[in-house]
Amino acid sequence: MGELWNAGPMALMLNGLIALSHYLFGSFGLTIIVLTVIIRACMYPLTAKQLRSSQAMQALQPKIAELQKKYARDKQRLAEEQMKLYKESGVSPAGCAVPMIIQMPIWIALYQSIVRVLAVVPEGLLNLSRYLWSWSIVYSMLPLDNNFLWFNLMMPDIPLAVLVGVTMWLSQKMVTPVTTDPQQRSQSQMMLWMMPLLFGFMAMSFPSGLALYWVVSNVISIVMQYFVLGSWGSLARSTARGPVVADKQYLKRITQVEKTSADIGAVEADIVETSPTKEEGLDYGVSGDKRQVGGGGYLPSPRGIRRQPKRSKHHRPKRR
Amino acid sequence: MGIKHNRRLWGKVLLLLVVLLIVGVTVSGCYGRTQTLGWSGAVVADDTLFIASVNGNLIALNTSDGGRLWPDVSLGTSAVAVYGSPAVEGDLVYVGGYNGKVYTISSSLGSKRQVYPVDENLEPIVSGVVVAYGKVYFGCSDGKVYALNAAELYKEWEFPTGDKIWSTPVIDGETIYIGSFDKKLYALNAMDGSKKWEFETGGAIVATPLVYNNTVYIGSFDRYLYAVDATNGSLRWRSGVEAGKWYWAKPVAYNNVIYAPNLDGKVYILDANSGSEVAGAVDLKSPISSSPVVVDGKVIIASQEGKVYSLDTSNNQISLLANLEDGGKIYAPLCASNGVIYIHTQTSKQDALYALNAQTGVTLWSLSLTSE
Repeated sequence: MGELWNAGPMALMLNGLIALSHYLFGSFGLTIIVLTVIIRACMYPLTAKQLRSSQAMQALQPKIAELQKKYARDKQRLAEEQMKLYKESGVSPAGCAVPMIIQMPIWIALYQSIVRVLAVVPEGLLNLSRYLWSWSIVYSMLPLDNNFLWFNLMMPDIPLAVLVGVTMWLSQKMVTPVTTDPQQRSQSQMMLWMMPLLFGFMAMSFPSGLALYWVVSNVISIVMQYFVLGSWGSLARSTARGPVVADKQYLKRITQVEKTSADIGAVEADIVETSPTKEEGLDYGVSGDKRQVGGGGYLPSPRGIRRQPKRSKHHRPKRR
Repeated sequence: MGIKHNRRLWGKVLLLLVVLLIVGVTVSGCYGRTQTLGWSGAVVADDTLFIASVNGNLIALNTSDGGRLWPDVSLGTSAVAVYGSPAVEGDLVYVGGYNGKVYTISSSLGSKRQVYPVDENLEPIVSGVVVAYGKVYFGCSDGKVYALNAAELYKEWEFPTGDKIWSTPVIDGETIYIGSFDKKLYALNAMDGSKKWEFETGGAIVATPLVYNNTVYIGSFDRYLYAVDATNGSLRWRSGVEAGKWYWAKPVAYNNVIYAPNLDGKVYILDANSGSEVAGAVDLKSPISSSPVVVDGKVIIASQEGKVYSLDTSNNQISLLANLEDGGKIYAPLCASNGVIYIHTQTSKQDALYALNAQTGVTLWSLSLTSE
């Protein structure tokens, strides 16, 4: 298995990197950047699909809430209907994880290639010759220069590790869904902070060549997300005052919908009208995009709208 | 409930991804990193053999039976990897360490005498040390060739090259020849370090040059062997055949024929004057990084996998002399003295020294260098 890995993906990555560096002025740092762009460009269809899938999942939240309310006492039916809804909407719940899973062997191969190509110790350089393909440019290029910008590609670099964390946080923040469920919200928050911290920590203990890959990859993610989603997503909403208010209103409404589904029998007599025009008029982002509450044709169910109880003309709330 | 179930599932998927990521990167991290052990060659002076072990000790052995002459001398507080062979001059043994220090040890007492630099460290020293004209010469990973005063161990001069130096210098007359990662072979005045000439190859140079008949032979990472005029640095020839991998070991010469081992596992047999192949390359099927020796008209070559061969120069026929696979790999240069070949074998944790009869391949004695 190890031999297969070394002779296949690892050797491909290693020789590819060396050959590429030949055309990039022998700069291994530049080679890593170009390689990252190539890998991410190849993965663009998958990434775009994943982003659209997450976007659609977010848009489906009200529909799911409605289903939950409708089949509150039939869990099996609820699961079936949810799967049906996902299928009809073309959403794959597993789609979000695919690009990450695909990238993992790339990270490992890249890490091993960096360590081997930039062999610092004699044993490493001697061992490297085992993996080289018989291309003249590969042999004459080695050993490559370890230095790029201000850092040594073989050594961990703290500023670069911080950059890994920051760019990953920005990238994650853009696609963090808005949710009312405290459990899911805490989970999103955990992932939002845990992944950048984890990668930042790893970048502090691994060669900075790998950290360079992560930084460039994160920046590409941000750009891709912007173009695919058409906005800065949660990043824009959290930095503008107006949208935050709009989010709160949205969250409040979703909470109401979910709460309604929990005590559906008790709300029948407690109704107040909500203006649909006000709902439609909400602006949810600096870029001008609006949240499509209906998720493509969804109409809020009258049963899901809370109404104020009828009051007599003489009834006034007490003032404090 | 369904939504919550879905979210829990998502939580598990994400957790699994994170765990997989950590495990993957950690495993690859452990797998990819390489340890520095060193592969010191041996040197024989007055029936005493000096060699550095993989755990950073300098060892003195009686060549007749392999008995230790004094307790092993630890070079540093922690294990110091030694890649070059020690050098002996008078009562002193000189050895360069990967920790960037050069040590002198009394060969009679087995005690450390001096160290250079005293307080700081140079960049790692992979090159072997050479002593001549009252000076100690070596190349350093900082890209400089150093000449220290052999008695007092202070710096007399240094010469900068364009990149790291792992090649061991060779002295012929008053000239030092040394290769550098900057792809150049340098000829320096041994007295003052001034440059006589330089010659650029197509790849980095790690191999030690061979000086033979006023010609410097040097193998390069571009997979060619070069013959350069020792007087003026002009190219005499470049081997017509492109080797499969890098030239790492020092070539040897006998009867106007150059025997150049390569990491592709072959020994290229070339005419010293023209560079043309005298005979087809001999394939040992395992990389050769250990420099061979010539004993009584036979070239003794060791492959990395632990096999020792004898190449008869009269007919260029190869025969297996000894199989030392049990001892580990062979990276260190071979050492020959009085018809005996000394071979340093090593694994990742321990190393051994074998004394073989050069004619028959019989093991005269062997011992572990790691444990006394």
